[in-house]
Amino acid sequence: MALRSSIRERIARWARKRQGSDALPLILASRRIYILPTRAGIGFGVLALVMLLAGLNYANSLALLLTFLLVATMLVGMHDCHATLRSLRVLEVRTGECFAGAPAALQLQLENDAPVARLALQLACGEDEAPAFALAPASQLAVHCHFTPTRRGRERLPRVQLSTSAPLGLFRAWTWIYLESEVVVYPQPEGKRPLPHSAALRIGLDQSGSSGEEEWAGLRPYQPADGLRRVAWKLVARGGPFLVSHYQGASGPSRQLDFDALADLDTEARLSQLSAWVLECDQSGAPYGLRLPGLEIPLGGGAAQRRATLQALALFGIAPA
Amino acid sequence: MNSARKPAALSEPEVTQTTVLLALVSLLAATSLNVHHLALWCLPLALLGSAWRAWMSRRGRARRAASKTLRITVTLVLIALVVLNLRSLSGLASGASLLVAMITAKLFEIRRRRDWYFICGATLFLLLAACLDAQQLWRLPLYAINFWLIAATLHGLGAGNEPLSAARLMRSAGRKLLLAVPLALLLFLIFPRLPGAFWSLPQTEQATTGLSDEMTPGGISDLSESDATALRVRFEGSPPPPQLRYWRGPVLHDFDGYTWRRGVGVNLPAPALTYRGQGIHYEVTLEPNKYRTLVALERVRPPQVQFAVMSSDYQLFRPHPENSAISYTLESFTDAYSAEALSPLARRIDTALPPKRNPRSLALAQRLRATASDDRAYIDAVLNLFRTGGFSYTLTPPLLDLDSVDSFLFDTHQGFCGHYASAFVMLMRAAGIPSRVVTGYQGGDWNSIGHYLTVRQSHAHAWGEVWLDGQGWVRVDPTGVVAPQRLTRDLYELLGFGAQGAAARLRSAPWIGHLVQSWEAMNAWWQDDVIGFNFIKQSSFLSSLGLHPEDWRSVALMLGAGSALWFAWLAWTLRAHWSVRPRDPLARSWLLLGRKLGRLGLARAPHEGPIAWGERIAGKRPDLAPQMRPLVRRYAALRYGPDADPLEVKAFGRAVQALRLARV
Repeated sequence: MALRSSIRERIARWARKRQGSDALPLILASRRIYILPTRAGIGFGVLALVMLLAGLNYANSLALLLTFLLVATMLVGMHDCHATLRSLRVLEVRTGECFAGAPAALQLQLENDAPVARLALQLACGEDEAPAFALAPASQLAVHCHFTPTRRGRERLPRVQLSTSAPLGLFRAWTWIYLESEVVVYPQPEGKRPLPHSAALRIGLDQSGSSGEEEWAGLRPYQPADGLRRVAWKLVARGGPFLVSHYQGASGPSRQLDFDALADLDTEARLSQLSAWVLECDQSGAPYGLRLPGLEIPLGGGAAQRRATLQALALFGIAPA
Repeated sequence: MNSARKPAALSEPEVTQTTVLLALVSLLAATSLNVHHLALWCLPLALLGSAWRAWMSRRGRARRAASKTLRITVTLVLIALVVLNLRSLSGLASGASLLVAMITAKLFEIRRRRDWYFICGATLFLLLAACLDAQQLWRLPLYAINFWLIAATLHGLGAGNEPLSAARLMRSAGRKLLLAVPLALLLFLIFPRLPGAFWSLPQTEQATTGLSDEMTPGGISDLSESDATALRVRFEGSPPPPQLRYWRGPVLHDFDGYTWRRGVGVNLPAPALTYRGQGIHYEVTLEPNKYRTLVALERVRPPQVQFAVMSSDYQLFRPHPENSAISYTLESFTDAYSAEALSPLARRIDTALPPKRNPRSLALAQRLRATASDDRAYIDAVLNLFRTGGFSYTLTPPLLDLDSVDSFLFDTHQGFCGHYASAFVMLMRAAGIPSRVVTGYQGGDWNSIGHYLTVRQSHAHAWGEVWLDGQGWVRVDPTGVVAPQRLTRDLYELLGFGAQGAAARLRSAPWIGHLVQSWEAMNAWWQDDVIGFNFIKQSSFLSSLGLHPEDWRSVALMLGAGSALWFAWLAWTLRAHWSVRPRDPLARSWLLLGRKLGRLGLARAPHEGPIAWGERIAGKRPDLAPQMRPLVRRYAALRYGPDADPLEVKAFGRAVQALRLARV
């Protein structure tokens, strides 16, 4: 297993060197599409060989004709498999919020301008393999796969593999897409410390109840900015649409989140705790601010505040690009 | 089976119900095509298994295995059936039956997608077994449809989660088959065949021709030989006239008063023949028979090649019995004689008669011989007896008692060729003339479309041969004396009764006859040139192309060149199938420009207009700016400006085609 994955890595590196990195929109050219028989394909190859031997041995013309027809059909299938990927277009690549250590969605906008449907396509980033999908003739489709960044900070988008085993399942063609763009990975939200009490809160400590309390308000369609934890996975597993839980936070008092208030932790743990707090505050709907050494984000709320604070945490101590 | 326990990967697509049905239909089709040689339980079993699986699939469980109890029961039943049947079936049939049993067992424990691939492969193997066993022309479309179904099943398996209709799968698979056919034909013609086998198939007990090594005229009251083809003959030049078409088969020496048999083979040298007149060259395709006899036109010259040996009574034998039809070329002469003397041993064998049998006939022979001046005159006297003694020709003669010749000559007076040959040879022997019964075929139907002669089982015939000093063995056909038409016309046509008689009459009707002849000519072509395309025919075919079949390099080169040509054609066809071909020439040129820049990673984004795109390219690759800026402007002017001049559009197209872009 280790050998196989190391060989795979080696080939991928060779392909990376050969292809260079890709710019969008990307049209898949022949020379970057690789193809090998699948397990079933190898099985059918062996079957064809046995049939050939039987036909030759018994000098049976009809058996030989059947064998040659099988071989030729497999070769047509091989060509068609290759053609399923050729000239497919990748128009756009988008990522949702990425937190270190949690799976993040990568969305590709694909276009098929051929008058033929492209079947049994599969998208994979790293280990994760998304279910197969098809592209109707002359159509566009947004597809997702998930990858798990390990560290916070700027990270290159992972290598994306687009593959197909259409039309006969005897061959599998694939291409690797290496994108130049980078994604900002937020620190892993971790830490169980309670939210710091704001000045306003300190006075009326008892009036608002425990902070971060929230009520489930229903389901709404997934957007790239949504965290994966909120996805209604049970529904997805049953083949339902991609929906996320939506919470209505009880609007609470504003808070100032301070890096220096966590002096007993190391830097990464502080950033993780702050990240967790940001998410908590964002969900509760209360305004919050962030104070980092050399950087202060004033009180605010909503998606813009969330993005600004998380980005500041992600890039803390990292030289600007 | 351990790996099958692992749960299927989440990303593994479900097998659609259409695919399952296609797989089951192709399995049942392949089983049906084998049904003539499979064990009896195979088809019902496959039906049962398929029905169960189809029912499971209807409930959305295409990849679910049966319960453990059911699986164990099925396996035990199958093992019992296979063991019970193994002895009674031939190698191929028992192998195919075993395969059906295995597939059926597998139907009950499908867990993953790849199990369906197994079913598909095994079905293909079953189809191979059918091809190995039966190769008639009418089966060809059935085999083709079965293969098409299997390809459509594979297509369904390969299409992922997409639920495609059966019609669409069939259409798509059919298109692939059409693309595959040229290469299959090329490989069929050029891929080197083997002169022999690595290992041989166990012989099956299926005698198909009317040839037999014994003859009992008195024990047959209804001779209804089939209409099936026994052999086909192509002549170089014109065929011999009908009355000379004697196709020689087994020669019978041994008579016990009731039955004629081949007798114990004695290896004597054959009396040397001197051939007279023009030789007739011809090629015979003989359907398989139980014996090693090769049927040949009288008198055949011993063949030069080593495929056959000639016995002392001028019979041709091949070294081994075979299951398949064989072809061979021979040279025969209608006139031949031997000046040698007959060896005493041969004379004793061919004048032997059982003692105290057929006494009335023996007395008759003595009487006739006494009045005849010599052997010739005696033969004429016997033939005259048949002609004038109130004898008639029939295919439904009365049964004879144990002294069969007595019974025939003095009581019944009715019989077919076997009766006359038997009585004639017995009378000859009774007068001390060495003689024997020869069986084979007489006549044949000329196929004017295919230019060959069809000899049917209904042409089966028997006649006599007598030894005359100075002439050697001379053919005497007593049936020709009784029913002269028998020698020039088909037996059933002559007698005109029964199903065969009707078939023969139909054949003689002009337009149906034409249809029948065409179908038979197609069959003959199929048998000779497709099924019979063996090592020898392939060698001569390759020679006719100017290749040396022994020189493997030239054959490999031809194979490589042909395959490369096919690949090029396939790539071109598929490219045309997959690419967009707008009718508008301007749009075509624009797409081409897009493709050329796409190769450099500078494809036009869907939201980009031509000018914006040109500017983006100029920004990223300033070296391309002088080429690209004018081009996109020209396009914008032609596309969005007032009525475009067709000449301008053409010029734009040429400019795009001529565009060469440097990579960085």
